[in-house]
Amino acid sequence: MKLSLDWLRSYVSFEGTAEALADLLVRAGLEVESIEQRGADFPNVVVAQILESSPHPNADRLSVCKVDDGSGQPRQIVCGAKNYQVGDKVPLALPGAVLPGDFKIKTGKLRGVESEGMMCSAKELQLAADADGLLILPVAARVGAPIASLYPPDAILALEITSNRPDWLSHLGIAREVRAFTSATLTPPAIVACATNTDPEKATISAFDQCPFYSVRRISGVCVGPSPAWLKARIEACGLRSINNVVDVTNFVMMELGQPLHAFDAAKVDGPIEVRLALEKEAFSTLDGQDLLLTPTNLIISDSSSVLALAGIMGGAASGVTADTSDILLEGALFDAPSIRRTARMHGLQTDSSYRFERGVDPDAILSASARAAQLIQEVAGGSVDSITITAGALPPAAPSIALRPARCRALLGAAIDDEEIRCFLSQLGLTELTASAPEFQQWQIPGYRGDLTREVDLIEEVIRLGGIDRVQGIIRATPANSSDADGMYDDIMRVRHLLAGLGFSEGRTSTLVSRTIGAGTPVLEVRNPLGDDQSALRSSLIDGLIPAMERNINHGNSSIRLFEIGRIFRVSAEEELTTVALAMTGRRAALSWLTNDEAAMDVFDLKGVIEVLLPSAVIEPITDSRLATGWEIQLAGFVVGIIGIVHPATARAINARGPVVVAEIRMDAIASVHEQKRMRFSPIPRFPAVARDLAVVAPLALPSAAIQAAFHAANEPLLASINLFDVFTDPSGSKLSADRKSLAFSLTFRATERTLTSEEVSSSFERLKAALREALPVEFRE
Amino acid sequence: MPVIMESQIEALRSEAVGAIESATTADTLETLRVRYFGRAGAIPLLSEGMRSVTKEDKPRIGKALNDLRTTVQGLLDERVSALAAEADAAALSGIDATLPGLPAPRGSIHPLTQLLDRAVKIFRRLGFSLADGPDIETEWHCFDALNTPKHHPARNDADTFYLPDGRLLRTHTSSVQVRVMENEVPPIRIIAPGAAYRRDEVDATHLAQFTQLEGLCVGPDISLADLKGTLEFFFRELFGDRTEIRFRPHFFPFTEPSFEIDIRTKALGNSWMELAGCGMVDPAVFAEINQRRRDFAYDPEMVSGFAFGFGLDRLAMNLTGISDIRMLVENDLRFLKQF
Repeated sequence: MKLSLDWLRSYVSFEGTAEALADLLVRAGLEVESIEQRGADFPNVVVAQILESSPHPNADRLSVCKVDDGSGQPRQIVCGAKNYQVGDKVPLALPGAVLPGDFKIKTGKLRGVESEGMMCSAKELQLAADADGLLILPVAARVGAPIASLYPPDAILALEITSNRPDWLSHLGIAREVRAFTSATLTPPAIVACATNTDPEKATISAFDQCPFYSVRRISGVCVGPSPAWLKARIEACGLRSINNVVDVTNFVMMELGQPLHAFDAAKVDGPIEVRLALEKEAFSTLDGQDLLLTPTNLIISDSSSVLALAGIMGGAASGVTADTSDILLEGALFDAPSIRRTARMHGLQTDSSYRFERGVDPDAILSASARAAQLIQEVAGGSVDSITITAGALPPAAPSIALRPARCRALLGAAIDDEEIRCFLSQLGLTELTASAPEFQQWQIPGYRGDLTREVDLIEEVIRLGGIDRVQGIIRATPANSSDADGMYDDIMRVRHLLAGLGFSEGRTSTLVSRTIGAGTPVLEVRNPLGDDQSALRSSLIDGLIPAMERNINHGNSSIRLFEIGRIFRVSAEEELTTVALAMTGRRAALSWLTNDEAAMDVFDLKGVIEVLLPSAVIEPITDSRLATGWEIQLAGFVVGIIGIVHPATARAINARGPVVVAEIRMDAIASVHEQKRMRFSPIPRFPAVARDLAVVAPLALPSAAIQAAFHAANEPLLASINLFDVFTDPSGSKLSADRKSLAFSLTFRATERTLTSEEVSSSFERLKAALREALPVEFRE
Repeated sequence: MPVIMESQIEALRSEAVGAIESATTADTLETLRVRYFGRAGAIPLLSEGMRSVTKEDKPRIGKALNDLRTTVQGLLDERVSALAAEADAAALSGIDATLPGLPAPRGSIHPLTQLLDRAVKIFRRLGFSLADGPDIETEWHCFDALNTPKHHPARNDADTFYLPDGRLLRTHTSSVQVRVMENEVPPIRIIAPGAAYRRDEVDATHLAQFTQLEGLCVGPDISLADLKGTLEFFFRELFGDRTEIRFRPHFFPFTEPSFEIDIRTKALGNSWMELAGCGMVDPAVFAEINQRRRDFAYDPEMVSGFAFGFGLDRLAMNLTGISDIRMLVENDLRFLKQF
């Protein structure tokens, strides 16, 4: 809402600046988005009339004017503008005036001719961003009058108002708040109440749920025309467009009291007014020229033949007030907030009126607002107001009073605010205390404009709002916290993050929302109302996000990429949300360095090495995965806990990768479980030396190395301490090794825990192993 | 005879001293060692001559021979060490230590994670445990239980992502508060970091998905003073002692009274920055929870509590000085590796 400081001051004696007001409002809980200074508040700038103008003797572009500044003594002013005529009234800055930019006006000579001041443009007075020539003032402007009388200074505060405080959507509402915080005097406008009567011949309600109360007041013989300057200025200060004197008054009262009103041209209302729900596909043309088809959830104002208005939202084109209108019907009503909200949203019509009804208006202010408007219409447009206001329905009963326990208030706030102070704060807000029955209770009556106050806790909030949070002294009462499952998971995740960062991976964060086409084949959870197709589903794998991230980095010229992410994935499964760790690598293995010339690209074994760190006991089994050219399942104790693989070369080329793109994704809980199982137990460090022997195993190409390793283990050779594969050799030419064979070179370590091994012992163990391998597998040994 | 022997000893001494001093390599020294001390070396040869020395001359000549042995051995050892030291110095002096080292693998942890971790560590010092809840939430957990009016705009399709089955992507991590209270009894002291979603078009200051940190403390006599003390401690720990903290009255359906917290600190450019929402848990929230639990564990007359929540993305953006929030999710290594 836009608030005019000048307007506000007509209801409350607030003398501070706009900035001081903004501070106060922020303390009260309003957000001030901006402050805009308006008007021309410059001492020594007056209205002057140009009496004569002659060319400057020494400068073609300048003229020398004689002007009347109201002193009776003509003044000589040198002027560069051309847009005036003799007789025009213009702003004149007298010597001593200070214009924006600390521009001090003095008597001085311009090209040898004395100038006793300066005639001003709108820009020089900050009345416009840009201006050509002098600001020509209205003919009626009084010569000698201060310019501020024509352009009264004002400040416009743009306020953001929380949905619980519709009473702040008016100048009087803000004035009440200022009064509460400053004890300034509040002067609401004087309104004469009017007698009311029901008359079904004139107005009826048939949808009480949507409209509990309706009133209409006839004003006859008005003269519709432009609004007077003061009215126009008020309306425009709030960012509204001036339409005509009658409509402007309804808007004025809305901005003044917060109650939206509507004026119909009485001549265009056919028969009694009925507040009812629209018929299916009933047609309605709005004031602003939109043709709507209504539905039976829309509340409307109708006469016997047509729809007059979409209740509380917008009037109709046919029944609006025009220059030809002489009698008007002024509506003041209470509409149900959710109903207005639904209808406004359905038709995409958000108006100042609907905005206020949606948040709730003060039922106690409906008739007074209508009376206030009638008064003002009479003032600005003449006419006579019917002595009786027709009403239908009933205003809701006054809200029940609320009991406040001062002790409870102090306990919840943790602040020492005594009973009297509480009383004082709540009274300042306009609440009335009912006769106290017991000291432990204060019973408060709530005014209609504070519909948000319904419970004790709401009053407690008001106490601290008025008292200020500074009344509360912060305390810390820490207690021991048991570690939760979430704590354990968090710690495991952080540990993995540090581990991966130490292994050269950078943590990325990608969007949960992805295109539904990603992960084709597997069902995904879709969003019903996505922002776009590229964000239409919940990711079912983190890899989908890391591939575009790799592309971005490749395109930035990054030659070595190691990324990881730990996050949630979403699947159509009983285990709907799952935290996983994803890894992605591509590019050079070693950074460019003078020490090495390793230009090799990373491949799946680089990534497998990382998996072996995260899950030392995992085994992998080939699988097919649509995203991967070659993929393997990662298994842990027989359960599938992740995948690892090489992305399709076509995909790799599409993201401009120069070598293999390898990815993996593992369940976080699997990694956590491995960590959990690790006991802090020491394994004795061998005391006796080990003996190493190398063995080159020649095996068919298709035989997995894991089978050979398994055969070593199966041999159960007690002296064999470890096996390490250190070379894989193949020879497609078949010259050194048959082309359908491969040679795997193992380094075998033998050790006994209690003695130094003899060479004979090692040799016999070595031979036993060879025999076992030969027996188990189609292998030979290379010498 | 003794005279001859003594002069031989003297001659050998002066020869050995000269030869050892002029030796420049370890090999030469080794040759000298063999020449003097080897099996057929000069000194063992002389020692053999001792047999023909008279009894009265023996002590004198024996001593002279011993002296020779010690002197030559000492000179040899000295010269060996000196040459080794020279060789070491020569080997090491050639190193250009200004050459760059071999690049070690260096990864990084996302700045948002680092910020979150700092926050988690501070709250853990205050005795808060972590809690967790799903991203896909029911409307009850996200809105109803948090006293959000049925027709609140936040529930709109325009503001919140819905799944076809009517569930939604949580718009705030406050739903975790609800899950914790549903399953546990007071006292509660939890924080819950996690993703939240709003149907905002992505631009330089908005992401449709962001990271929040939520907190809840419920127990007997928890007051606004606890809220204030806890959050003041937290923000001063996070931003430094000189941080100014402003509690501004605000409105949230699930807390009453409610505040927004503004921070002003050098690290954030010395202007007020809106950072967090907080307040005392609204009794209506407790009432909803009790109804769901079918008990009275959260009797508003017996327990009270405070809750708070704030977004980490905007904070990370301001702390790191980036001007476009999208950098946090672009995963550009030139950005990520800076942290």
